[in-house]
Amino acid sequence: MNQETIIKINNLTKRFPVGEGEFTALKNINLEFFKGEFSGLVGPSGSGKTTLLNIIGSLDSPTEGEAIVLGKQISKLSHKESALLRNKHIGFIFQVYNLLPVYTVFENVEFALLLQNIPSEKRKKMVNDALEWVGLSSMANKKPDKLSGGEGQRVAIARAMVKNPEIIIADEPSANLDAANAHAILKTMKQMNKELGTTFIFSTHDEKVMGYLDRIIHLRDGMVEEDEIINVNHAP
Amino acid sequence: MIRFLLKGILRDKSRSILPIAVVAIGVALTVVLSAYMKGAFGDMIDQNARFETGHVKIMSRSYAENKDQLPNDLALLGVEALKNTLDTEYPQMEWESRIKFGGLIDVPDEEGISKGQGPAAGIAINLLDENSKEAQRMNIETSLVQGKMPKKSGEAIIGHDFYEKLDLKIGDVFTFFGTTMEGSMTFKNYQVCGTIRFGAGAMDRGILIIDIKDAQEMLDMEDGTGEIVGFSKLNVYDDQETQIMAAEFNARFMDDQDEFSPIMMPLRAQNNLGEMLDYSNFMSGIFIFIFVFAMSIVLWNTGLLGGLRRYQEFGIRLALGESKGHIYRALIFEAILIGLIGSIVGTCIGLAGAYYLQIVGIDASEYLENSSMLMPSVLRAKVLPYMFFIGFIPGLIATVIGTMLSGIGIYKRETARLFKELEV
Repeated sequence: MNQETIIKINNLTKRFPVGEGEFTALKNINLEFFKGEFSGLVGPSGSGKTTLLNIIGSLDSPTEGEAIVLGKQISKLSHKESALLRNKHIGFIFQVYNLLPVYTVFENVEFALLLQNIPSEKRKKMVNDALEWVGLSSMANKKPDKLSGGEGQRVAIARAMVKNPEIIIADEPSANLDAANAHAILKTMKQMNKELGTTFIFSTHDEKVMGYLDRIIHLRDGMVEEDEIINVNHAP
Repeated sequence: MIRFLLKGILRDKSRSILPIAVVAIGVALTVVLSAYMKGAFGDMIDQNARFETGHVKIMSRSYAENKDQLPNDLALLGVEALKNTLDTEYPQMEWESRIKFGGLIDVPDEEGISKGQGPAAGIAINLLDENSKEAQRMNIETSLVQGKMPKKSGEAIIGHDFYEKLDLKIGDVFTFFGTTMEGSMTFKNYQVCGTIRFGAGAMDRGILIIDIKDAQEMLDMEDGTGEIVGFSKLNVYDDQETQIMAAEFNARFMDDQDEFSPIMMPLRAQNNLGEMLDYSNFMSGIFIFIFVFAMSIVLWNTGLLGGLRRYQEFGIRLALGESKGHIYRALIFEAILIGLIGSIVGTCIGLAGAYYLQIVGIDASEYLENSSMLMPSVLRAKVLPYMFFIGFIPGLIATVIGTMLSGIGIYKRETARLFKELEV
């Protein structure tokens, strides 16, 4: 099957200075992610999941090797270019939702579009569509502190998807949710993945999330321990 | 985007009310203190100008050297001719002769026997000429406690406390004993037409005010005067202009060989008023600097605390694709807005306070009762046009500098490290 590679990681190593020495968070990683994949990085704390997600999300750059996201070599991007990449092509979903507390649900979702200077009318429609997608149209004018955990995470999903990004990075998205809410948001994300073709990359150790993944990449001590294909449609 | 940021500021009270309150308080203090200092120093200088120094003063060289002794034997002569020259050469100024003199007042009883005596500090000004502004300049009419202004030769105004001490009544006649210009003894009777209190301790003790012609006659100073004071017709003291005028006058008229030649002295060269003028300007500058500096530190801390509270927000905004530069610029924009609002609020409060102090003032008469300084007993603020914007200097600059300093950490950090620190 002919699949489009949207993320390519070659011999990637990431080291952080610790005191006078260095800590190697990722060692010689080679991975490819394909358009429309619903994959996850799984591993214990310190295995390098977040570091790898940060590099894919252009929040960090490799010490050695290269990470090419949507044709752009991360280490060669300026601050402005990497911000632009995140703004237009990458959505983030966090463990603790991270909604801006002083803004309404609508405004939280709208924020990413404001950065893209999208005209008001079009922006309004896109936000309403995204909220409808996650079933929160009636909550548009509520502040985040009036939402339940599940609703908060659905707003975060709407915020990530409203700009229709190619990639969504989800860092432990179900960690603070009960089972019912976790399944509900995972179903929403899976539906997005299928209907919009958005590529999802999770960082998780939640069994419930793993149950939805097409591909699980096991990381240990900064290295790929196993690249497990569950859905053959997205085989590397 | 701007509307979005505004909503955030308005809804998050710790980002709006607290910093606006801090800025407003600082700005209000700056305005009130500047106005008060300007007013108090200005009043002091103005009072000195009106009663003592003029904007410029002309004396004979030797009179100037001994002026504390009121040396009328060293007075200027040929005054009319000199004043005509002055009117021609310096038409922007008004020139008036004044004679200061000292002596003794003796009050007789019904039988003509002395019932009271006291030392008087006399000042003779142009009281009877309707075109003269001297009475108005010295607030004589408004400072009258009893009686009326002199209408004819031989009438005198006397300090109210002195008047009470001497047990005088309006219409009573007293005798003034003094010394003529030539050093002879002189005496003349005057009728009390009014009593006065200026509110300045140094002036109110034993003051006697008579018309200059009476004084010239009494002191044998025909066509002579101790001093010629000059006042700008606009009634505004221009430090630089008066210095230039004095230098030019002295170059033309002063003769180093002739101790009776005239010398012109600007206000700043008299009674240490130059130091006071410089001190007033210096203190105003210091106040503004202190407020800018102190408020920068306060607002820097406020910015840091606010920044810490908003770390999560910055992290989210970074993740959503906002660049660090954009976040930093947005912070500066917020600071400008906060600074502007705080400065406007603070300026309004400050001006209201300054206006109150301008009308009511602070009564310092208790402390100045025995002072020999020529100072108003009620120290008032003075609201001037520049005070409408002076507060914007600390208000706006300090807020922006504080934010720039506190936000610099965000701008300089590696994105990933910052992202991690932001606990997103």
